[in-house]
Amino acid sequence: MSAPELDPVQVEIIRNALVAAAEEMGVTIWRTSRSSVVRDLLDYSTCVFDADGGAVGQSTAIPMHLNSMPSCLAEILANHIPIEEWEDGDIIITNDPYAGGQHLSDIQTFKPVFHEGKRIAIAGVLVHHLDVGGGAAGSYDPSATEIQQEGFRIPPLKIAERGKRNEAVVKLLLRNTREPANVGGDFASQLAALETGTANLKRVVKRYGPELLSAAMARIQDQSEAAMRAMIRDVPDGVYTFEDFLDDDGIDRDIQRRIAVKLTIAGDGMEIDLTGSSPQAKGPVNCTLAMSYSAAMCGVLMSLGTEIPANAGCYRPATVKAPLGTVVNCRAPAPVANRMAVGHRVVNAVMGAFHQAIPGRIPAAYYGVSYATSMNCIHEDGSRQVYFDLECGGWGGHPDEDGASGFSCGLHNISNAPIEMLENSLPIQFQEYGLVPDSGGKGRTRGGLGLARAYRLEAPSGVFAANLDRFKVRPYGLAGGEPGQPGRLTVTRAASGETEDLPSKVSSVPAVKGDVFRLQTAGGGGYGDPAERGEAAKAADRENGYTRA
Amino acid sequence: MAAIRIAVDIGGTFTDLQILNEETGAADAHKVPTTPADPSEGLIAGILEASDRFGFALADIRAIMHGTTIATNAVLERKLPDGALLMTEGFTDVLEIGRHFRSVVYANKAEERALLIPRSRRYPIGERLRADGSVERALDVESVRAAARKAAEAGAKAIAICLLHAYANPEHELAAARIVQEELPDAYVSCSHAVSPEIREFERASTTVLNALLMPVVKTYLSKLRGRLSDTGIAAPVYLVQSNGGVTTPETAGEQPARLLLSGPAGGARAAEVLSAELGIGNLIAVDMGGTSYDVSIVDSGAIRLVTEGKVDGLPVRLPMIEIRTIGAGGGSIARVDETGRLYVGPESAGATPGPVSYGRGGTQPAVTDANVALGRIDPDFFLGGAMTLDVDGARKALSKKVARPLALEDGPAADGIVAIATTHMASAIRLSLFEKGLDPTDFALISFGGAGGLHACDTAAEIGATRVVFPRDPGTLSAWGMLFSDVVHDIARSRLMRAEAANLGEVQSLIAEMKADGQEALARDGIPEGERSYPVTLDLRYPGQAYEIGVPFDGDLAATVTAFHDAHDKQYAHAERHVTPEIVTLRMAATGRLSKPAARPFEGGKEVSVKARRPVRLAGAIRETAIVDRETLGPGAELAGPAIIEEAHSTLLIPPGWRLTVHPSGALIAEGDTA
Repeated sequence: MSAPELDPVQVEIIRNALVAAAEEMGVTIWRTSRSSVVRDLLDYSTCVFDADGGAVGQSTAIPMHLNSMPSCLAEILANHIPIEEWEDGDIIITNDPYAGGQHLSDIQTFKPVFHEGKRIAIAGVLVHHLDVGGGAAGSYDPSATEIQQEGFRIPPLKIAERGKRNEAVVKLLLRNTREPANVGGDFASQLAALETGTANLKRVVKRYGPELLSAAMARIQDQSEAAMRAMIRDVPDGVYTFEDFLDDDGIDRDIQRRIAVKLTIAGDGMEIDLTGSSPQAKGPVNCTLAMSYSAAMCGVLMSLGTEIPANAGCYRPATVKAPLGTVVNCRAPAPVANRMAVGHRVVNAVMGAFHQAIPGRIPAAYYGVSYATSMNCIHEDGSRQVYFDLECGGWGGHPDEDGASGFSCGLHNISNAPIEMLENSLPIQFQEYGLVPDSGGKGRTRGGLGLARAYRLEAPSGVFAANLDRFKVRPYGLAGGEPGQPGRLTVTRAASGETEDLPSKVSSVPAVKGDVFRLQTAGGGGYGDPAERGEAAKAADRENGYTRA
Repeated sequence: MAAIRIAVDIGGTFTDLQILNEETGAADAHKVPTTPADPSEGLIAGILEASDRFGFALADIRAIMHGTTIATNAVLERKLPDGALLMTEGFTDVLEIGRHFRSVVYANKAEERALLIPRSRRYPIGERLRADGSVERALDVESVRAAARKAAEAGAKAIAICLLHAYANPEHELAAARIVQEELPDAYVSCSHAVSPEIREFERASTTVLNALLMPVVKTYLSKLRGRLSDTGIAAPVYLVQSNGGVTTPETAGEQPARLLLSGPAGGARAAEVLSAELGIGNLIAVDMGGTSYDVSIVDSGAIRLVTEGKVDGLPVRLPMIEIRTIGAGGGSIARVDETGRLYVGPESAGATPGPVSYGRGGTQPAVTDANVALGRIDPDFFLGGAMTLDVDGARKALSKKVARPLALEDGPAADGIVAIATTHMASAIRLSLFEKGLDPTDFALISFGGAGGLHACDTAAEIGATRVVFPRDPGTLSAWGMLFSDVVHDIARSRLMRAEAANLGEVQSLIAEMKADGQEALARDGIPEGERSYPVTLDLRYPGQAYEIGVPFDGDLAATVTAFHDAHDKQYAHAERHVTPEIVTLRMAATGRLSKPAARPFEGGKEVSVKARRPVRLAGAIRETAIVDRETLGPGAELAGPAIIEEAHSTLLIPPGWRLTVHPSGALIAEGDTA
């Protein structure tokens, strides 16, 4: 309900103040976090909620965090700690995927903000922590089959009560991480960001008063809801289906997992029904419903291609359904650390469904996987150095233009690491970093090219691991376009000179000095009939070696 | 015979001049229209007009400081020659791959990424250096010859050479450049170790490519300029303004034109630094509000902040430059109401054409300037000193139709609202700018320049909790005035990853000796006498594993520098790992040749405030009869209390109720308010 006399100028000014509060919380984390993972990968997000937990403003650079905190807060309020029990000075914490979270590494914290004894807002901060225990460093264990193998689980609880921090819980957590200094530092930064948010929100309420603030928060959500409904109204009513597949879960290597989407547009509302998706996997590729929701909404916003201030209002016209016990709504104790695998596919499938509804506006599939590889380099003296790398591939051809080559797309948004920096600090030497000709799907507009990245181990020995996909199921083409080329992982052994293929999800691959590991990422799908591709575009492709035929 | 120093700042519309009498310290401003086809034409015209107007002989000119956007414009408008890039075999796509991070989060079409050299003109060179500069694979001379011939066949006139780890060992690049010059004697050749000898292959390649492509552009311009100057009988040396705030000679600028990119804000930032000393205010937020953009730069404890990288059209330029945050907020920012009843102000801008509705050039969307006109803050007959008459009625009607009615507001509150929203955007940009460096806005004063800023500066200051606003003299030509105070600066760098510990001190010292030799040579070439040269060194340090460095001064005592790094890290990032030895990534030297500095400029003006008119102005939600004062009449000692409107040639200042205004001996106006 919005106060009818609310001045639209004040609404806009308060909106700016709330967005600034979320941004300044984000800057606090960026500025004060200890681990370079948090700062360089920007793997955190911040949110301002109204007094009842409705999201009003969010700040994040990473789409997979979209709506992650609102889902979690809603679950906490509904099933764990009701809002009446939130008191001034409390901080509520959880990392439990089965309490509205996504995976254990994301620790979420919420702090109610009070003014003259009345709760007027809630500040929220989510940070991806370097290590939360479990079967492997970084809390990503590809062999995990139960969540207990993935790290410590914090049920929703009060880490601070009426301003007093529960040091016992903090100690317990830090005792269970491999990186106590980094995680302790990042956690301090997370709490500092809550304080930044609290101070800002107090400033806003002091200036505008609680009634005006509350009415403005309601109006901001209503406006986003109206904008979202207007965009949905432009999509023709109907039921649109699409499906896409995951290669495997890394354990049952011969079973592809289906992600099925039934998109229903009715007037200014929509439903995304994921019924028909595969039963949950043994390996850690599963999504909780909260994760599927974030991925599906990312697919919606990318399809509609418009910026809407993300808040609770946007989500009102859209529901996401998924049966319990599937890869898109897993049941405890299914492992979830590699939730991104299915998450990317949910984005691909939602966009494919939108193509049925609004053809001519949706690009073909992007590469759809976070290409994570690691090499644990073992030096002469037994000391170790871990090289962790993230890569990306090609975008799908868009109805208006070719897909971008080797550029972050969809759920994640990463930077690559400079080769000269890596060679300066690690015992590895690169052989190649380039575009892969012919990897983009053919079409009227071509898919973007995938990348090739190869390096030689220079330490006496090492252990390699990878967490990939799209080796078998290629990024789809649309409207007659062809799929992009799949990814590939090979090792060329120093001793034999022979090259062997590795599966997409591996761990504990032994390596010795001189072995060369080469990753080739997928190209994007093509859009439209390849026969309709213009001669000039084809000639340019040949001249630049994007295609060789 | 007088000694005259001239600064010329060539902008898109006007060429601004400041003429300084080095003996008396008096400075005069002059403006002429810019001549876009050949900007040196306007420069000469401006000097000739000024010589007539202020009565000095061309022979009296001792130096010309020249700010130019010619390099930046050539890149933005793609007026660049065809080029080629030679890169280590296996890595020629590095230029196209870039760094992956996207700025539009939910895009389904990738943002435009500029690519200045297509894949067909990027050639592999057989060679490989290791990280320490040692040779793993010797240079394959034939691969260089083949590349040079293919480049020539493809019509490339500028050749960039960027080999992996060349910052650690330039031998392969030097040898390759010699071969290319043998094959193509007329080509412009740029090597990465000479342009930006820093680790990170993509950023170095990008900078080198820009440099190579700009060489013919800048050299051609400078030779035209030289011709025109000598035809006119001006023999004075010319110095070009660089993005680091210093100046350089035409010879260096021709070889290193990338150093001119992003030099636009340099003059203004330098002026803020000089004013900081003159006014005795160490911490200043310099804001420049023009028609379309709002630039924020910071003077922290008397010094302008530099960064080691900037971007032009999204392309990284890895060279020291003045740090600046720009948002889309200006006098031309458009106000609109969407279907949900939300009022937006900017970032879309009406620009100069058609401009705000009140310009009467066909604009139909009300802009921030229109709101100010409707509120009575701008005299429609005195805009740009009377150069342009504003359409008040048109502005009012557009506001009423496009903003007030859709929101069911009265016209006055609607115009107030537009101004208030624009102010919050500007205040947020300032807060974030300071906040990410661990600085507190309440420790700062605002200094406002640019045509549109004077009406918003006090409100913006109040919004961030600052209580002082400085309005410098001649804000319209302040950037040119700042250039008068520039020194010659050559940035020299060496990247070597090593721990910052005593064992490496020898290597650090020998690298510094190398850089100093380079610097001495460069400054000698510039004709700077020994006594005026200095060689300050900073080390870019980080904790092992971090992706970003902090620059810390180094005077020979490594332990002191490490301590200063921990302190700086603590200040900027709120923690320090004092038990960890940081690593050195890059050593930097700013080899500086000091040019003589003009004396403080005297200012004369009346002590008595003479109100030239009163008119109704809407302020703080009510219409009040407000005093209008001519800035020229305000001399040191004069005081007045807000509300007041101060009018000057190219700008209008608003002193809101509750603010008091005094005049500094330099002629700068200082407004002070009470901020709760």
